[in-house]
Amino acid sequence: MHIPDGFIPPQVCIVGYGLSGLITWHCLRQVQRHPDPAAQMPKASLLAAAFFVVTSIQIPLPPMSLHLVLSGLLGAVLGYYAFLAILIGLFFQALFLGHGGLSTLGVNSLIIGIPALVGYGIFHLRRWLPRALTPSVRDGISGFLAGAIGMMLAVTIFISLLIFAIPVGFDAATERMALLTLGIAHGPLVLVEGIFTALLVTFLRRTKPELLTGLVSKPTPEWATERISQPEPTNSGNYSADRLCD
Amino acid sequence: MRLTLDTYAGLHSPLHCWWPRSKLVGLGVLMLGFACVQQVQLIPVCLMVTAVLYGLSGLPWSFLRSRLRYPGLFLLGLVIALPLLSGSTILWQWGPFAIRQEGLLAMGLIAGRFLSIVTLGMLLLGTTPLLMLIDSLVSLGLPPLLAEMTLLSYRYLFDMADQLTNLRQAMRLRGFHPNGNRQSWQQLAAVAGTLLVRSYEQSERVYKAMRLRGYGHSQSVKSQIKGWGKSADLVAIGLCATISLALIGTQIWLTVPET
Repeated sequence: MHIPDGFIPPQVCIVGYGLSGLITWHCLRQVQRHPDPAAQMPKASLLAAAFFVVTSIQIPLPPMSLHLVLSGLLGAVLGYYAFLAILIGLFFQALFLGHGGLSTLGVNSLIIGIPALVGYGIFHLRRWLPRALTPSVRDGISGFLAGAIGMMLAVTIFISLLIFAIPVGFDAATERMALLTLGIAHGPLVLVEGIFTALLVTFLRRTKPELLTGLVSKPTPEWATERISQPEPTNSGNYSADRLCD
Repeated sequence: MRLTLDTYAGLHSPLHCWWPRSKLVGLGVLMLGFACVQQVQLIPVCLMVTAVLYGLSGLPWSFLRSRLRYPGLFLLGLVIALPLLSGSTILWQWGPFAIRQEGLLAMGLIAGRFLSIVTLGMLLLGTTPLLMLIDSLVSLGLPPLLAEMTLLSYRYLFDMADQLTNLRQAMRLRGFHPNGNRQSWQQLAAVAGTLLVRSYEQSERVYKAMRLRGYGHSQSVKSQIKGWGKSADLVAIGLCATISLALIGTQIWLTVPET
């Protein structure tokens, strides 16, 4: 799902960087609207690192195994931070693992980042699911849809970009066949991504439900935003941030 | 998971001594020039410039070899597929397999461009400590929030990778063997979920620690890298820009039809 360096024309790389810059700007604006964006930053960063590591887990699907992208889940958990986290994750993947590339960073961030933002929207539609279903089932369904639709969108963008990259002399019938084969080969991945996202969402609901509310929409705890006028006299060993900063 | 990159950043070579901000711009411009190459005749020039720069950097060839292992698989696929599937001029045929001229040229172009750009990327990262590179990006206008996120993610990436290794080891010791059934998928989802929950809890502790050290009250990340270095650093940028422009110019000259 990562386009390497030198594979697509420079115009596509430049347009990719331009579009990715615009989306990054929009996401940063959305994030800055939060009463205390600084409070969310460490969570987004550590979760971005965790997602980077989690995508290295191999999911067995005999006779092979797959690596997941988890863009839908990333969107559900990180909200607008998801695109920024993906940009950073792809930067690290290009540096450490040689997946993707520096010249195609913009294009690759669109392939995985746009589905993450769409996944964010889809996951938060769970409140529209029938009330007769239990919250756990509702989360599972919306998780599946966010994961599967996100992956489907990523494959669609990826294949559309590949059409730009195919050499002019390529036989039209072979080209159609190659793209169709690529699309069909990604079919199981769409299902696996959906199922795994649903399983993960269900697990998170059981263990840490606040992770599923999205970072941007989560209210900031009072201690992180309000200055304490009277330091608590109970224990002199406890330092508050404000006592140190004043 | 191998996450080391700064192993050779402490060497002493012209590339290592190049001022990071200038190096980022110079090599970036050169990468752009290489990406613009559409004529296979120009590929030897790209490869030669890259080889000279790599030689100057003093980085061992094993470093490049190890970094090219994964992207090399992509390259292999390209080398096999393109000459067989693309084009109409047959150069050599054996039964149903035919090597076509157009495919061969396209393969040379894409593979050459790919090798040159990837090697330049490795040069940039192999000769500059990552923190300095991010600092240079901030000095060139990277939003502070993005820089802070990158630095913090980088700091905890190694911790997370260690935690995943421990979780995997613990599962193996308890007899876990992934075989693709529902139960093993659920267990893998639990592993991934545990890592996410742990990172979330750790992030709350990290945030409290950062607040205690004044985070959020003072100005955000500010670059320590100012200016463009010495005159030699500027000359190097000029040289890269000249090569890049020459490539783009030759490219245009080669594609314009003769009247």
